[in-house]
Amino acid sequence: MEKYAHDIVIVGAGIAGLRATIAAAEINDKLDIAVISKLHPLRSHSVCAQGGTAAVMGEKDSYDLHAFDTIKGADYLADQDAVEFFVKRAAREIILTEHWGLPWSRTEEGKLIQRPFGGHSVPRACFAADMTGFHEMHTLFGKATSYRNVNFYDEWFVTSLIVEDNTATGLTAIELKTGDIHAFKAKAIVMATGGHERMYEFTTFSHTTTGDGMAMAYRAGAPLEDLEFVQFHPTGLVPQGVLITEGARGEGGYLLNAKGERFMKRYAPERMELAPRDVISRAEQTEILEGRGLEGPYGPYIALDLRHLGEEKINERLPLIRDVAIKLGGVDPVKEPIPIRPAAHYSMGGIKANVKTETPIAGLYAAGECSCISVHGANRLGTNSTAECLVFGAVAGEEAAKQVSSKSFKEFPIEKLALEEKRIYDQILGREGDERVPVLRDKMRRVMNDKVWIFRTGDQLQSALKEIRELKQRFAHIKVEDKSSTFNTGLTSALQLDFMLDLAEVTIVSALARTESRGAHSRRDHPKRDDENWLKHTLAYYTKDGPRLEYIPVKITKWPPAARTY
Amino acid sequence: MSTKIEKIVEFKIHRYDPQNGKSYISTYKVPIRKGTTLLDAFKYIKDKLDETLTFRHSCRMGICGSCGVNVNGEPMLACYTQVLDLGVDSLEIAPLSNMPVIKDLVVDIEPFFDTFKKIKTFLIKPESELTKLVAFAQSPLDLKKYWDLTLCTKCSICYSACPAAIDERFLGPSTLTANYRFILDSRDEGLEERLKPTADNIWLCTSCNSCTLFCPKLVDCSNAIVDERGLVVESGIIPRTVKDVLESVFKYHNPMGTHQSKRMEWAKELNVKTFPEVTRADILYFVCCSTAFDIRNQEIAKAMAEIFNRMDVNYATLGMEEWCCGDHILRMGEKGLFEELATHNIEMFKKIDVKKIVTLSPHCYNTFKNDKPYSDESLNVQHYTQFLAEAIQAGKVKPSKTLKRRIAYHDPCFLGKRNEIYEEPRQILQAINGVELVEMKRTKHSSFCCGGGAGRVWTEEAQPEKRPCVERAKEALELGVDIIAVACPFCVTTLEDAIKVLDVENKIAVKEILEVFREAF
Repeated sequence: MEKYAHDIVIVGAGIAGLRATIAAAEINDKLDIAVISKLHPLRSHSVCAQGGTAAVMGEKDSYDLHAFDTIKGADYLADQDAVEFFVKRAAREIILTEHWGLPWSRTEEGKLIQRPFGGHSVPRACFAADMTGFHEMHTLFGKATSYRNVNFYDEWFVTSLIVEDNTATGLTAIELKTGDIHAFKAKAIVMATGGHERMYEFTTFSHTTTGDGMAMAYRAGAPLEDLEFVQFHPTGLVPQGVLITEGARGEGGYLLNAKGERFMKRYAPERMELAPRDVISRAEQTEILEGRGLEGPYGPYIALDLRHLGEEKINERLPLIRDVAIKLGGVDPVKEPIPIRPAAHYSMGGIKANVKTETPIAGLYAAGECSCISVHGANRLGTNSTAECLVFGAVAGEEAAKQVSSKSFKEFPIEKLALEEKRIYDQILGREGDERVPVLRDKMRRVMNDKVWIFRTGDQLQSALKEIRELKQRFAHIKVEDKSSTFNTGLTSALQLDFMLDLAEVTIVSALARTESRGAHSRRDHPKRDDENWLKHTLAYYTKDGPRLEYIPVKITKWPPAARTY
Repeated sequence: MSTKIEKIVEFKIHRYDPQNGKSYISTYKVPIRKGTTLLDAFKYIKDKLDETLTFRHSCRMGICGSCGVNVNGEPMLACYTQVLDLGVDSLEIAPLSNMPVIKDLVVDIEPFFDTFKKIKTFLIKPESELTKLVAFAQSPLDLKKYWDLTLCTKCSICYSACPAAIDERFLGPSTLTANYRFILDSRDEGLEERLKPTADNIWLCTSCNSCTLFCPKLVDCSNAIVDERGLVVESGIIPRTVKDVLESVFKYHNPMGTHQSKRMEWAKELNVKTFPEVTRADILYFVCCSTAFDIRNQEIAKAMAEIFNRMDVNYATLGMEEWCCGDHILRMGEKGLFEELATHNIEMFKKIDVKKIVTLSPHCYNTFKNDKPYSDESLNVQHYTQFLAEAIQAGKVKPSKTLKRRIAYHDPCFLGKRNEIYEEPRQILQAINGVELVEMKRTKHSSFCCGGGAGRVWTEEAQPEKRPCVERAKEALELGVDIIAVACPFCVTTLEDAIKVLDVENKIAVKEILEVFREAF
């Protein structure tokens, strides 16, 4: 087995990963930087982000206001020092990406436009039509590929993180083209692998977003923070779950039930369709559960009506979702309302990281959706995620670059590589069991959809935990049909399922323990927010018997928890 | 999904096992519902029928560019294509072309992405500008100028369909468009630098339009390349061959390097009326520079005149006042020269009283129909295949002789994929007794360009095995046909060149449909 050694290894080439690459390369062009991604970078899920990137840029706005909106949006679970840091760095990212060529949408005077978005008091979402993530990705990729000291390992599947004496020393990765597993040595590793919502059946997420980095860090000893908080986006296109941007509501779209009523007036009379996502998702789910959803061939749904915006505005501001609604939903939003339902969309939780993106494991950084700092607390505001990926992607790159200059490589523990080879080639690929990966995967997604969804109860969560644990046992008896070494997607599906089952378990255990409702986590049996007992973050540590939970307090600086109404 | 099954579709998928180097086809039957995409079908196969089927996919909403595949010869995104929309019960799925196959439907996209390393993929600005933390100004109008070109997902479908990309020097439609996107960006200050990497390969593009036709995001690469060429021409750094063509058009109003006074030489022995001696006719026969001046292609001009004469058609040509239509010239980037040609021809069209114009060349047809200022005139123009097919249908002309020939028809790009004229040429051939018409593997709008468009018939300098005409000729040879029939004089020139290069003149011949038809008359 060859060994690969790089000063910094960045896992994941989405917005956070590519931004970290650029930041590290800019600090020191003598650094040897590697970017490993199981997909070609431009295939990363980040290209699906649509609505925009929030930043304080106008006179009517202020850092305190953006911070407060974010903290209130987070239902007061966000670490306020991190939020204050975050809001001050967003504008810089907007301008840097603009300088690299991003085609931000403009006002008549040639300045960046900012549109209204859920939970933000002031329009502060900079956008590029409804393809913001796409353009951020292409711009970052265009820049990141210009550095001579950056090596891209495209379509290399990282399988495990190697940690010795609480220090990240390397990782193992399969080169998909050959099927060979290789060991990487690194002085610093940045995890930027994104979310895990593919563990749900109805999700806005790409097929490939399976939480790999979160699971690997967890297994290597890093705690996963606040994993019970999963955001459900109000407008997932029926039936695939494809995202219809919140920007559609930012431009003035209405949400209607079967009676043609703008029902949000009963749930958030002030903000209406621009209330935060958890509020709207709960509203929609309630409408559906109480029988006021519209009936369709794929089950009940809510109507997102954009007709009154007019064809010109839709083509200018929302061209992508118009095309998607026509091609995948069979409706033209210019003429008919779009059928939507809440869909699993974002993980507020992730690998515990501080404001410098350092995790409790030395040399391991985490940025973007796979991390939890926590900027978003119990619920994320739209346009804050792409902003987070840019801000903390840059921080991760900078921090990693600054710290590696004084470090040296640690020896790669060969026995761990051997163990990993055994796990993958003997246990997963080699076993001749009678269970099938797609069957277990679909079952997991159905369990999560039915029992770990927007409204949760202790009983349901217990039942879900039992089923997930059963699935984990059954996983030990799978048979992967594809035995080839080249581009083995049967194997990668199995590895991804393995990761997701761990994350599902952590999600449910964390959700069971939290006996309150806050942000996106709604317990029917504990419907109130309980600041006295629960103003704290969940930390889940890996043990072979399941996650062990600890708690740490939330950092409050300027904004004591208050009632959260919109 | 919970709706009913509309039908069962048969999927014949090209497989490749790198372990043993074997290529084979796997057939599956997939239940299709309303809304089932090709990707849904692939996943159904993988989950329920054959886990070893290997393909790329991620976003399933047409934005990541992972899932391009060839479907019945046409490249498209699997996730963005509804199976029911394809309207057939059997689908042949193959990996994208021009890139080596890694396994099944997964191709090596490195050759495609390597082309981007030759251009700069971010704004070129002085360092002093970049350090200021203030956004550059850009008006919505300026943004609109290049916005459509930013929508490229780099899915490589255009690269797969591109005939010029068989030469690895060619940057490819996506890369040339990405390059132009920055040139058009009002913030960019790198025009001179950006034109450099195009110099040795932008002339390989034939404007066949496959890229624009198949792009899932409707990016008009073809016209972006034409406009980019315009800038290259303006810069003056152009190959000798390009210069010669443009100079000829400037001097002689035709690209053939011959004085216009010789334009009607081909009609010496025939009785052909010309303007200005004649100012009225039913049909204006627009001959084309290639068939007027090229010795071999003059046979085509004569064949048309003979057939017109036999049919007693009242026709005339513009004689020396027929200037080059300008189609190639426009697509070589010389807009000014094109306008000069068009202005003159339009003036002549106004001076002669005719019911319709019939062109020999699809290029003339194409530009009269689609390019300003011609298109503003709403000319009543037909390609000769339309005219002749109509006449056959109406019983006005009937080929009486039997010709036992095995013929493959090659759809010319400027007739077929650019103007959707597919049936008429076939109808003419099928009206001849004894003709066995064979379809090329890449047919109709998946036809593979002969390599002659946008001036390449004159500027060709690729190695023989990298020329589209040679590749296309090889395709025809595999069918074991006697004749490749075409309906464009430029296809005749390039394909005959290919036959010579391959040294198979005794095996196969290239003929314009008119020549075959005349033989059977």
